[in-house]
Amino acid sequence: MRRALKFAPTLTLPRWAGEGIGVAVLAAYALLYASPYGLRVLTVAGVYALAAIGFQIVFGLGGALSLAHGAFFGVGAYATGILGSQLGWTFAATFPLSILAPFLLALLVGLPVLRLESHYFALATLGIAQVVLLLAVNSPGLTGGANGLPGVPGVLLFGWAVPRGLPLAAVVWGFVAAGGALAWSLARGRWGRALTLVRDDPLAAGTLGLDVGRLRLGAFALSAVYAGAAGALSVHTQRVVSPEVLEFPVMVSVLAIAVVGGRGRVAGAVLGAVLLVHLPEWFRFLERSYLIVYGAALLATIVLAPEGLTGLLDRLFPPRKRVLPVAKAPPAVAIEGGPVLLVEGLRKSFGGVRAVDEVSLTLEAGTITGLIGPNGSGKTTVINLISGLERPDAGRILVAGRDLAGKRPDRIARAGIARTFQAVSLPEGATVLEAVAAARLERDRGVAAAEAHALWALERLGAADLALRPCADLPAALRRRVELARALARQPAVLLLDEPAAGLTDAEKAELAGHLRAIAAAGTALLVVEHDMGFLLPLAGHVLCLDQGRTLYDGPPAGVRSDAAVVAAYLGEDAP
Amino acid sequence: MRRFLPLLFCAPLICGTVSARAESVSVPVLVPLTGFLSLEGTSQRNGALLALKSPPAGITADAPVIDTGTSPEAAVTALERAAGGPVTAVVASMLGTQMLAMLPLAAEYKLPLVTVSGTASITEQGNPWVFRFFPGDAVTKEAHARYVVEELGKKRPALIYQTTAYGQSGKAHLEAAFKRLGADLVFEEGVDPTAKDLLPVLTKALAAKPDVLVLHLHSAPTALFIRQAAASGVPVPIVAGSAMHQPSTAALLEPAELKGVCAETAASPISGGSAEVEAFTAAYRAAFNAEPDAFALGQYDGTRMVLDAVKAGARSAEDVRKGLSTGTHQGLAMTYRSDGKGNMAHSAVIVCYDGASRVPAIAKRYDNVTGVVK
Repeated sequence: MRRALKFAPTLTLPRWAGEGIGVAVLAAYALLYASPYGLRVLTVAGVYALAAIGFQIVFGLGGALSLAHGAFFGVGAYATGILGSQLGWTFAATFPLSILAPFLLALLVGLPVLRLESHYFALATLGIAQVVLLLAVNSPGLTGGANGLPGVPGVLLFGWAVPRGLPLAAVVWGFVAAGGALAWSLARGRWGRALTLVRDDPLAAGTLGLDVGRLRLGAFALSAVYAGAAGALSVHTQRVVSPEVLEFPVMVSVLAIAVVGGRGRVAGAVLGAVLLVHLPEWFRFLERSYLIVYGAALLATIVLAPEGLTGLLDRLFPPRKRVLPVAKAPPAVAIEGGPVLLVEGLRKSFGGVRAVDEVSLTLEAGTITGLIGPNGSGKTTVINLISGLERPDAGRILVAGRDLAGKRPDRIARAGIARTFQAVSLPEGATVLEAVAAARLERDRGVAAAEAHALWALERLGAADLALRPCADLPAALRRRVELARALARQPAVLLLDEPAAGLTDAEKAELAGHLRAIAAAGTALLVVEHDMGFLLPLAGHVLCLDQGRTLYDGPPAGVRSDAAVVAAYLGEDAP
Repeated sequence: MRRFLPLLFCAPLICGTVSARAESVSVPVLVPLTGFLSLEGTSQRNGALLALKSPPAGITADAPVIDTGTSPEAAVTALERAAGGPVTAVVASMLGTQMLAMLPLAAEYKLPLVTVSGTASITEQGNPWVFRFFPGDAVTKEAHARYVVEELGKKRPALIYQTTAYGQSGKAHLEAAFKRLGADLVFEEGVDPTAKDLLPVLTKALAAKPDVLVLHLHSAPTALFIRQAAASGVPVPIVAGSAMHQPSTAALLEPAELKGVCAETAASPISGGSAEVEAFTAAYRAAFNAEPDAFALGQYDGTRMVLDAVKAGARSAEDVRKGLSTGTHQGLAMTYRSDGKGNMAHSAVIVCYDGASRVPAIAKRYDNVTGVVK
């Protein structure tokens, strides 16, 4: 006994141990203990688990509160109901079409509504759900109207009519297993990582070469596939389809499952579904009062486990610390000498304010250019225009002869322009390694390669020891360094830095200057927005000064302090 | 407290008279106690429990109550749960969509479903295990239309119905019945059950110059419409759907607002009519501290017919099914007899309010009305 206790702290379980134990418990319950009623509840839990896995993709990973998920569930259900009961089609034909219908609907409505942000997106998707519900209720010839359609056949697999009970539960949970494995693999892969970054910081995601719109649309459409599959299976278990499958309680159930189970996690969807579908059944004997107890139980779960049940389990049984990959330099990107970025006649107005007015500049490979000026002079707007976060009213932005003015941020990033932000933008829930690896997702073939290259970027800036720390825990100076490493991991031809020395001590500034010189020495052209002249002027080979959107000074750093216009508008007479 | 009701009934009335040879029956009550149909579902449950409270001598009754909510999924799960034990018959939800979902499982388990659902073609599915103890829309809407045309002599009805299964079913039957009676609708519009103001639809309906307003709305919208009509001084009579007869609906209105309003229903126990019905109403009030409605009475009658079948020798669910399929039962509301499809109720009444009380009087009775629910 003593020996066992001695070795207990050193025992480690594989990462999938929790999930494995859960699957084994569920299987044992289904095979050895569950009554037909228990199996039915388990089957319904499987249906909701599948729907919730899909919702985890769009809501958990993508961060979009889609209230159309219930509608996609219903569309899949109605596709199966109509084709099965009215046309007599079998599972082999109805199931693929029940997936296809919500998928196409998601693509159709996703294009316009995915442009909306947060609550506007939620409201728009809620509107879609309402329209689909009204159509179902008011098209009795097709849908059976408010009464719905009875007589939906059961699942027929390769000529075998799957009976209810254990076989039907096994089929439904088979789909859950397959759907869960796919979602798990996607979430851990490049696509899932990219989607997570889109959720946490869509602006940064675009500047790291990720096509935000495409990722969101993909997540929305894929979630609809899961919802449609779940809807189809739900109709096969009920043998009737009615407007209830399109009503808001379905959506609320799926949302509650995702939140209670653990946002973004496949295991969370399964755990949440099993718990939330069984909970009302456990309290059913209380008749009307069960809703109070059910609500209290839900509230308690959310209060005690704000990150969901899977988050709580992680807290109780922390996963093993992961092993760092071996740092590896990415394939070299050839940067030719000479001008790598030409900006000509750039103009941008916000209402009646002309923020940038006929600004032109040229960045040569391997040089550092300073961009200075008083607050509100247009420095950050110039960077936003070059990186695509704002669309210029006029002017050209030429990279390798291509005009990128007005292009999407991800296209500009792919052309070789990287940037950092004035307020450091790192995903709070990610580790430093994950945050930097996000910059490589568009380039590398897998997450492992992206992380190896990310570690290389961190090593270049002397920050490899931070790799496994959560971004949220870092002090300001280290956050700036991690953000610089992320930009560097892009191997950019042009690097735009917005006040990189803000908040740093003198020693940290000196170290940063060394890193920037090294980056420039490797061929990258740097444009540095900075207020600290003591830091910038020794660093830059060329300086532009803006005032009220116009170029006030364009020349060597030595001439800045003696330029009367710059002194008058920005530095002041008492400047050292 | 309510979950102990069966036990309370059992202690003094049933268990005390149990002999060693008592025949025990189990009749699970699967009805919506939560959600938008909770009022009606509670009436249904109370009617069933009242019947099981005093079964025929030599029979003990067990009646586990399971809330089905309003989703088909919950109803099927409840039936699966109930089927886990010995079951004589099932008191099944009055919600049509839930019934449609329960039918295949009932057939598989061979369990008679006794319901008071009036909508949906639940008895037209070819399933021999369902018995409807409430006149379907084919009966009640026929009576509704005939009263308007034949008794009130109206020829220009305006129909306001609900955009739900209940509303759509009733609308289809009313439309056909009025057409057959030569009184085509001059106006018809569906309203959402959550609508908070029905004055716009009332104004539009009156603009069509109807000579009668025909309602087929749920309880709360019916009360709202009648209140707004009374406040507007609507000059034409109102003949409402069965929701109006429910005491809980009348309780939402002042008696004066109800003056001249009529409604169709299967029965109106609070209106009396016979000593047996008055005894039922008194027992219901004593047991549940509430007023009974037609759903309670219909379910009471249906459950009594099950108990009578057991008393007559039915020892299995199949025996009970046969008893219900072939027998005749003199209930409190009407005489019940299957039309071969499980439609047991073929009578409807029209009740009218005099403006002095919330208790309506029976104005007209329609018996032996037949038809198929669409």
